Amino acid sequence: MAFADDLLADAFHLAGRGGKKPKQSSLRRAVSTAYYALFHLLIDDFVANWELEHQRVRLGRMFEHRKMREATFKAVNKSAPTPIESDLLKVIGTFVRLQDDRYAADYDIAKVWSRSDVMTSLALAEQAFKSWRNIRKDKIAQDHLLSMFGARRS
Amino acid sequence: MPTLPAGVHKEAEIASAVAEVEKLLAPDVVRIRYEITTDWNDDWAVYFRVVLSDKASKKNRLIPVVSKIESELAERLDYDALGLYHYHHYRSKSEQAELRGKAWP
Repeated sequence: MAFADDLLADAFHLAGRGGKKPKQSSLRRAVSTAYYALFHLLIDDFVANWELEHQRVRLGRMFEHRKMREATFKAVNKSAPTPIESDLLKVIGTFVRLQDDRYAADYDIAKVWSRSDVMTSLALAEQAFKSWRNIRKDKIAQDHLLSMFGARRS
Repeated sequence: MPTLPAGVHKEAEIASAVAEVEKLLAPDVVRIRYEITTDWNDDWAVYFRVVLSDKASKKNRLIPVVSKIESELAERLDYDALGLYHYHHYRSKSEQAELRGKAWP
């Protein structure tokens, strides 16, 4: 199982801990872990294209959270995206949402998370995994990874 | 504090959309509250706080219900025109009873 899948499985495990009285620490770690699962899923696919295997870890470290969320993509026909575009838009939307959730989970300690809220984030992450795996080899998906890396669209 | 967005002056529009969606999606949706404030990035945002029925919060129903809520709200509210980012948070009815008074994310 890939590292990203392990992280997502860990997120579900953390969210399920504690029975009817889950600890906030577990719920927060679950949200944060789900974000990092999607983050690594995308990065791992990008660096896998780099031929020099020993450089892949360094390349992966060059990704920046903010640049990744700011990478833009527009469907050719906004009102009728193709299935591939639609999957990519779901991944992009979920990435941004999970990043926001992760920020709240890690830094806003005044807020109290419910398991429903956490399970929503995790289920969306799970769907984003499926969407990404539908399209990961497609040109627009690969081009978007390059945008997330920071390259400008030509 | 950034400049006030259009959404701050259009609370009636937001309240009306929220009330419509609340009614449309009952009994899965028990209630929707919202707050306009700045987010972690100091951008203006609307935070929706949705209480779901316990049935709607079950794992097999959660995502279809949540997707419906968010798409119905987005159909009625042009977030770009309002100048607001949007965030949605959920609690089941039981969780809300347990967590009542504690701040939402």
